[in-house]
Amino acid sequence: MNQRIGIVGVPPLAVIEEITRAGDTFIDLDEPQVQASLDQSASRIPRVYCAILRTVVLNCMHLSLDRVYVDVGPGKCDCALHTAEVLDDMLSVPVIRTRNQDVHAFGYPLCTSRLPLLEKFRLITKGVQSAQPYPVRVRCEPQCGFWGVPPRDFSLLTLFPDTTHIFGWTRCMENKTPASLDLERVFDPDIPTVFFSQSFCAKAALAKHLAAKHPRGIAIDCDVTAGSSTRAKIEAFLELSGIESDLRSID
Amino acid sequence: MLLADFGTSYCKILDTEDRRPARIVATRELDRSFCADLATGHNAARRSRKSINELTALARGGQQLVNRPDFVLLDCGSRDIKFVRFHEGKVVDMGWNAECGASMGFTIELLSAYYRLDYATMPVPATGFSITCGVLGMSHIFDAVVSGASETEAVAKFVRGIAHNAHRFANEPEELYLSGGLCDNPLFIASFPCRIIPLGRCVLLEGLQATLGKVPSR
Repeated sequence: MNQRIGIVGVPPLAVIEEITRAGDTFIDLDEPQVQASLDQSASRIPRVYCAILRTVVLNCMHLSLDRVYVDVGPGKCDCALHTAEVLDDMLSVPVIRTRNQDVHAFGYPLCTSRLPLLEKFRLITKGVQSAQPYPVRVRCEPQCGFWGVPPRDFSLLTLFPDTTHIFGWTRCMENKTPASLDLERVFDPDIPTVFFSQSFCAKAALAKHLAAKHPRGIAIDCDVTAGSSTRAKIEAFLELSGIESDLRSID
Repeated sequence: MLLADFGTSYCKILDTEDRRPARIVATRELDRSFCADLATGHNAARRSRKSINELTALARGGQQLVNRPDFVLLDCGSRDIKFVRFHEGKVVDMGWNAECGASMGFTIELLSAYYRLDYATMPVPATGFSITCGVLGMSHIFDAVVSGASETEAVAKFVRGIAHNAHRFANEPEELYLSGGLCDNPLFIASFPCRIIPLGRCVLLEGLQATLGKVPSR
């Protein structure tokens, strides 16, 4: 019988293959899956905490699941390790900790493609649920870069041009090597780049560090939703880097 | 062409076909039907035909007014603070704080009106309050007054704390160009732990004029 399997982070390929073979349904718990206030999760996990893991807890409070895989190794974070403890006590179904250290590189054609940035992120996060190789895609010439994890609020991705290349952990996700720090630290010094991290995420240190090394980089963090000042910073950074928005004629 | 910087407390309006300088109008007194051609600020999207965000206007205004490749420009508004840092003529860092730096300018103005203080005559205190937000910072004033400090002394410490917080927010440069209404506040300017070069209240309008040069005409 088809089972509903929750996943947090990027489980090892062997787990993905096993779930696929069984014909079970993936539920990506990192993404909002229920229409409920995130504040409900405060009874289980602190309010001042990674919004993605708060979302994981909120999803688990509302969804009916048969099993949950939480990646807690170097491919995810210590916060996930601790959140797994919360889920274990909270849920009556098995919570299985994994440590994804896969090294087989699948490549990252979506990260360098010309699709709208939001669409690229949708496809990359969805791609975690497949063990199939990627189709070939044409690489576009980049105008700017987005480094970091998939944001809790995808709407901020709409501020970027289609010619944005993706770097950081999202690139590691697509490559199916989420623990690869060597790949995560890669950036292109020739294009203006936004180094994004979720507020209260350990990766903020790497984002700030790399932004300081980048000749045209800016570090930005965002909690649950992208507020007006976060959006304005990105807009201004892109505009002042020569990536103009819709300046229209005024008569 | 009507350009406007719609601030929270004051609007700065410039008619490019008029030789007179920009006029400054209290936001609460601005006609509801007023509509600019190009604007920036909190109400810009609602009250203009075209708007740009404030950081962009600040950076472009700074570039027009400061003839140097490397500088830091900080704008202290009623409601928020923002900065841009230029290196070799390009923006390399920026920040906009609408939460922790909130309401600094507005509370400074409110306090002078309530306590009837003249910032031009107040000396800079040797120490200040540790403040990250205008609203929360006011409780320091009330505590100090209850403890026996004069209202003038307590408010001066508040202003000094605000200036130091703004300086930290801009990553503590040795020299800072200042934009916004607080350029007219001698106590605020003297409270910074670095050299201050005030540029006045119309830096964002300068940025709008620079933007106008980029808009293709029909």
